Amino acid sequence: MVPTSYYMILSGILFTIGVLGVLVKRNPIVIFMCIELMLNAANIAFVALGRHFAQVNGQMYVIFALAVAAAEVSVGLGIIVSIFRTRESINVDEMNLMKF
Amino acid sequence: MILSNGASLAAIAPILAVMITGMIVLLGDSCLKLWRQAKWVSPTISVLGLVVSAALACSLIGTSGQQLAFSGALTADAFSQACNIILAVIAALAVMGSATYLENRGLQHGEYYVLVLFSTSGAMLMAAASELIVLFVAVEILSVALYVLAGYARTERKSEEAALKYFLLGAFAGGFLLYGIALIYGGSSSIVPGQVGTTNLRALGIYLHQMPAPNQMFIAGTALLMVGLAFKAALVPFHMWTPDVYEGAPTSVTAFMAAAAKVGAFAAILRVFNAFIPISEYWLIIVQVLAVATMFGGNILAVVQDNVKRILAYSSIAHAGYLMVGISALTGSGAATDALKAEAHSAAMGGITFYLLAYGIMTMGAFGVLIWISRRGRDVQTLNDLKGLVKTDPVAAYTMLIFMLSLGGIPPTMGFMGKWFLFYATLQAGQLWLAVTLALASIISIYYYLRVVWVMCFTEPDENAVAPGRAVASGGVVVSLIASAAATLLFGVAPGLLHSLMDAASTVLRP
Repeated sequence: MVPTSYYMILSGILFTIGVLGVLVKRNPIVIFMCIELMLNAANIAFVALGRHFAQVNGQMYVIFALAVAAAEVSVGLGIIVSIFRTRESINVDEMNLMKF
Repeated sequence: MILSNGASLAAIAPILAVMITGMIVLLGDSCLKLWRQAKWVSPTISVLGLVVSAALACSLIGTSGQQLAFSGALTADAFSQACNIILAVIAALAVMGSATYLENRGLQHGEYYVLVLFSTSGAMLMAAASELIVLFVAVEILSVALYVLAGYARTERKSEEAALKYFLLGAFAGGFLLYGIALIYGGSSSIVPGQVGTTNLRALGIYLHQMPAPNQMFIAGTALLMVGLAFKAALVPFHMWTPDVYEGAPTSVTAFMAAAAKVGAFAAILRVFNAFIPISEYWLIIVQVLAVATMFGGNILAVVQDNVKRILAYSSIAHAGYLMVGISALTGSGAATDALKAEAHSAAMGGITFYLLAYGIMTMGAFGVLIWISRRGRDVQTLNDLKGLVKTDPVAAYTMLIFMLSLGGIPPTMGFMGKWFLFYATLQAGQLWLAVTLALASIISIYYYLRVVWVMCFTEPDENAVAPGRAVASGGVVVSLIASAAATLLFGVAPGLLHSLMDAASTVLRP
């Protein structure tokens, strides 16, 4: 059986990649994919911990998180499509109408 | 007291009332043609639903005890009912103000009110959540509706930009929140008997009290949870999105967002940190640093702004700082005896609750005045637009004066009493330096609030200003302004009228 710590390390790595991606990337769709990576890192941790504790909670939390992530995707992609219609570009560096 | 499922539903009736009203408006607006054509139906039904919700919460606020609903996933105690009342009042004021604003901008659609109602129910759930995963879901119910609302004027570039910024940063914060919860779930096994994990705040509070020795995973999880909540509450240095989103979003949305999202976020922060009081040596200093940075950061950055919406955005950041001082006072870290600590705790709980109501009402009022002077078809945003307002629109100018004085914390207003209660709680907690910092930060804030007043009262109206067009009907925002101005003055003079609300909050006990 794979030890739980392996899963925790994996989820830590995925979470870090997600955070770095959000900070580095310039395309909102890619940024959003990185945010999904962060959420899914947490999901891996939940499932692994749930198995470790022999509790069903961990797996149940993942279902909640997935539902929330799905709702976020629908709203987020809607916003991005709407921006693309008016601006013909979705680069976040060009979102600079308002500053300081 | 653990409630059965039926009793649980009854205990969260105020939240259900808001949700059901939202669904009724959603269905009615999309299915009935007459409903859609009569523009006043959706806002009226929404306000009615919110009034029912507030009335239910008032009737339930007297119930004592922990009121653990749904096997402890929600705590429907008196504090959560107090938050329900505050949020229902804020949402009702927002709906009335929005009706005028949206009509004016040609954005009047029923789904706006649905989104406001759903996000209100999310904020109410945040105040009741005692299971961390419920807290996460509640945060997202609040936020997802707000992302849409921020981009509601979807043909306007600024509004779209605000929606995208809010969405990306909000979702980013959500990631931190969820990962923090996962780490707390894993880390809690070292303190929970039987080596299993839990994310129940009440259970965590009890176990931490018995064994205040969290492992590193637990501390890391608490830190990530703190980051996620600090994003939502717009604490410095996690405030970057706030001014842009507040400026870009339609004014009526900004008002609602500034008030309701902050109340929800602080109710959640309060629940979390109240449970973590036994390990306050780990987080107290961070909370205090955040409080000081937020108070000064918000106030100093507000001084250099020319856009009233941005000034109010930075002012909302500063107010979050004052509330963080209240969170710090919860611990009673400087109080000598346990009895004094408990006294500081209940003073801080009452103070924070009073301040949340005061902040909500005066923020709704200040934005309401902006909506009201925009009724002639000019979207008022900058200080230039307010020049000489006392000559062109004296009633609006004097109403704004009340809210500015209240936000600045000048008696006899609700804002002053709120600051006084927080100041008093901080002194009770033995954190004298923090109380002094709070007073100093409010002195800076008076400068920019009075600057708005000065521009309104002592400058000549702009000659080149667009000639005012025909005013649209503005009944909604007038009712909302009268109510908030009256409340600001009344509760400023007689804060004792809100005694039961503050007492209700104090029933949340130290673990």
